[in-house]
Amino acid sequence: MTLKLASAALLLTAAFTGTAHAEKTKFEYWYGLTGDLGDVVLATCQRFNEAQAEYEITCVGQDGYEQAVQNTIAAFRAGKHPTIVQSFDAGTADLMLSGQFYPVQKMMSDFDIKIDWANYFPGISNYYASSTGELFSMPFNSSTPVYYFNKDHFAEIGLTEAPLTWEGMEAAFVALKAKGHACPYAYEPSSWIDLEQFSMAHNVPVASNDNGYSGTDTTLLFNTTLELKHMENIKRWLDEGLLQIRTAQSGLTSRDSFVSGECSVFFSSIADHNTVHKVAPEGLNWDVQMIPVYEGTERHNTVVGGASLWVLAGKSDEEYKGAAAYLAFLATPESEKFWVSNTGYIPVTIGAYDALKAEGFYDKEPYVHRDIAIKSLTVTPPNNLTRGLRLGGMIAIRTEWKSEVEAALAGQKSMKEALDTAVERGDAILARFAKTYQGKTFP
Amino acid sequence: MRRAYFKTSWVAFALVAPQLLIIFVFFYWPTSQAVYWAFTLEQPWGGGNAWVGFDNFAMTLSDPIYWDSVTVSILFALGSTALAMSISLLLAMFADRQLTAYKLYRVGLIWPYAIAAPAVGLAFRFVFNPNAGVFSYINTLFPNLWDPSVSGTQALIMVIVAGAWKLVAYNFIFFLAALQSIPRSLVEAGAMDGARALRRMRDIQLPLLTPTFFFLLVINITDSFTDSFGIVDTLTLGGPARATNLMVYKIYADGFRGFDYSGAAAQSIILMILVMALTFVQFRYVERRVHYT
Amino acid sequence: MIERTPWLNIATHLILFIGLITILLPIWIAFVAATHDLAAVNSAPVEFLPGDQLWVNMKEAWVRSDFAIKFFNTFVVAIGVVVGKITLAAITAFSIVFFNYRGRMLIFWAIFITLMLPLEVRIVPTYAVAANALQPFQALLDATGISWLIQSVSGVEVALNWNLLNSYTGLILPLVATATGTFLYRQFFLTIPDELVEAARMDGAGPIRFLLDVLIPLSRTNIAALATIMFVYAWNQYLWPLLIITDAAHYGMVVVELRDLVPDSLTTGGDTPNWHIAMAATMMVMIPPILVVIFMQRWFVRGLINTDK
Repeated sequence: MTLKLASAALLLTAAFTGTAHAEKTKFEYWYGLTGDLGDVVLATCQRFNEAQAEYEITCVGQDGYEQAVQNTIAAFRAGKHPTIVQSFDAGTADLMLSGQFYPVQKMMSDFDIKIDWANYFPGISNYYASSTGELFSMPFNSSTPVYYFNKDHFAEIGLTEAPLTWEGMEAAFVALKAKGHACPYAYEPSSWIDLEQFSMAHNVPVASNDNGYSGTDTTLLFNTTLELKHMENIKRWLDEGLLQIRTAQSGLTSRDSFVSGECSVFFSSIADHNTVHKVAPEGLNWDVQMIPVYEGTERHNTVVGGASLWVLAGKSDEEYKGAAAYLAFLATPESEKFWVSNTGYIPVTIGAYDALKAEGFYDKEPYVHRDIAIKSLTVTPPNNLTRGLRLGGMIAIRTEWKSEVEAALAGQKSMKEALDTAVERGDAILARFAKTYQGKTFP
Repeated sequence: MRRAYFKTSWVAFALVAPQLLIIFVFFYWPTSQAVYWAFTLEQPWGGGNAWVGFDNFAMTLSDPIYWDSVTVSILFALGSTALAMSISLLLAMFADRQLTAYKLYRVGLIWPYAIAAPAVGLAFRFVFNPNAGVFSYINTLFPNLWDPSVSGTQALIMVIVAGAWKLVAYNFIFFLAALQSIPRSLVEAGAMDGARALRRMRDIQLPLLTPTFFFLLVINITDSFTDSFGIVDTLTLGGPARATNLMVYKIYADGFRGFDYSGAAAQSIILMILVMALTFVQFRYVERRVHYT
Repeated sequence: MIERTPWLNIATHLILFIGLITILLPIWIAFVAATHDLAAVNSAPVEFLPGDQLWVNMKEAWVRSDFAIKFFNTFVVAIGVVVGKITLAAITAFSIVFFNYRGRMLIFWAIFITLMLPLEVRIVPTYAVAANALQPFQALLDATGISWLIQSVSGVEVALNWNLLNSYTGLILPLVATATGTFLYRQFFLTIPDELVEAARMDGAGPIRFLLDVLIPLSRTNIAALATIMFVYAWNQYLWPLLIITDAAHYGMVVVELRDLVPDSLTTGGDTPNWHIAMAATMMVMIPPILVVIFMQRWFVRGLINTDK
């Protein structure tokens, strides 16, 4: 041991230039998806390696979105980072301000790879683009929220069409309860659905500065909008027995409660469509619908959730060429079809979606009605309030929202007080973020 | 304490050198950087930082929610340590009597320590599940009595029990090892004096266990403060309404979920000082009562 | 048995039995989950009796995680950690307890403090050290001007580099320094009577001889307990291997693979809750530690100090 240490210590490096020529350019890609989804990611890597002979991609699973970003930061600071990393929606504000990435749209044009950027669904591409519309990262696993409902339960109360308004939903909950269903709505507090996507669909702001796109001196506004009324309704429905809280922490997730036939409705990402198919017992008669809006408001588009692929700074041109080739490979209609047919995610380009629709993809189980998500994403073209959120410390803000909502649901304070506190604490997070990146603005 | 020593020579220093070298490289060097962050606003991707002095500490200590987290951490540490120490001591004393099937008990009681964390989370979720788990029987008797996803107190109890569960196995091994190294002749001498088995436990075995007891007390308390991240993350995510937001979990959530490296570094230092103070108190006041020779 | 105590024996069995049941209940639940299929494991109410899918699930887990190589790697790392830790902890505690020099308590505390800041919160700077374990020394040389001196005298640039990423050394080395072990040995060494030390000195035995011939044999049960704990600790390592191993095909460890099977609660849905596969994998991953526990039992024997029976 001592000897080894000594010899390592004596290793003095002369200026070293790599002359060894491997036949293939190798580069790494770290992803966060786990389980079955992780296996599908690995399959895309394998398909890429088999499809061409110039590059070899090594895909490394990082056991979760958080670890993927966390480990990439650690590696980046030591100069050992991968070329491509999968980063989830809320983890990107720091990356954007740090500037330590190679914008994909620029990279593609630098290496003369033609991608029809207009072909991407605006609700998806805008989320990952600069305020001028240049894409920073490559849209990858994409979803949007919907609600899942038990068709048999709805039929019992005479509903053949799933409601599209919250008023209609409430009426349905009341009727379901009257029919003896103790758990009409399996509720799990989710800032992604109840705050972010809710605000998009209603065209109300979450924060100032166009939800943070046009500056870092942003403050949160959600305690003053329709969000407050909605969360007060959630609390009222809980008190009236129209809704039950079902979280992983209580032992049964809202999805578990739904597939067991106990609860009639739950909200989740469209990506769960695949999962519900896999875990639902024989005979569970269910479908999905766009998230409801309140009467008297005009429905707007929801935005993408999931993750995108970022190319990091500090790599060689050769590796970037490989990364560009891989991302271009993912953007082919065949790759998109491979991805969406093996997962619950939706296609990211209009072209791929049209092609799938034309060949009857969405007419066959288990894909029937999965395109409800596309409908939800494209209700209106995104505007300055509905293209997404650009907030530093987004994950911490989500945590504040959730903790406060939990306190209100447990009866410790009113919903108004809870949201006020969440806004106050969230503003402190935003101010701290702005101070950390003083003088920088979102590109 | 000890009076007889070997003559100090280079041997003494050669023996401690390897360990010191390793902790310098893998602990003190990285930690010193984290300490530096506590006085700056550090950009996660390494774009630079600004010196802010004690601002991060002021911000942390003036936040009432941070103090809630300190309170919860202390409750958790005391609760799980007390539970784990008493149960494991009881079980070890009885297992040490070496009745029939005692080898089976021995393996069975050490078993939980061998389980990887993800399984622990899932298993406890099933045990404490208010709708369909073992604890749901409470709810059939007393409707809506048990729901750790709403009640903060119950969530804390759940986390304490889960934390103690693993410590019981850990403590059991060391208590048993210590009991087994008590010379048979001592116990036999006691038996010949006519002392009954329970008396013997109290008068002969317990005092001889104090060095191990002290070791486990210090380790259990330290562990409850610093190694409880996994339990909270799989069972409660710090909720409901921050009721189980332990200090170490909050550090992780703020720093590495929220990318506030500097705030997390300041909290880490506070946690370290707190645990050091507690350890110091134990060495100063509890160790006095330990019988070594 | 020394004397007959029928009532106490019944009480003993009762207490141990209840303890055993309580302690093993969660493990039973994990086992049952490993024996069902996807739909059953996600159904409510939870099943309490095993199904018939254990073999199927275990096979799938084994293939998906490519466990063969990972079991081997983890075994190598765990043995390395056990041997390293027991040795390091013993010699450190020996120096602190049996020598009387200034600063020995300071050293003890310096080691003890390492328990107080978990890896989770210092992971970013620790990674930098793993990428180059000699970086602290480089920084010291740079800061003190020594590297500048060497460069200006000899014209050679000093660049110390020892990369631990993707290596057994990187997996083992940071885990062998242990406050727990040092503390445990200290506790045990303090119970060694002064007379033993004096007798050894009278015989002209040096400290190393005393350590090897007297202390190590005396601390057999403690070593067995520590080895058991350390083996399991190393076997279940998760965060550190996940971070420094990107070449899982060669250096992957079991629990990292196990976690990959466990559904991520933070993705916004879409991940199949394959708890049955994850639990089947858990059952397999658990076997080596249990074997070690059983194996180590042979050192849990009574009557080591006094052999005058």
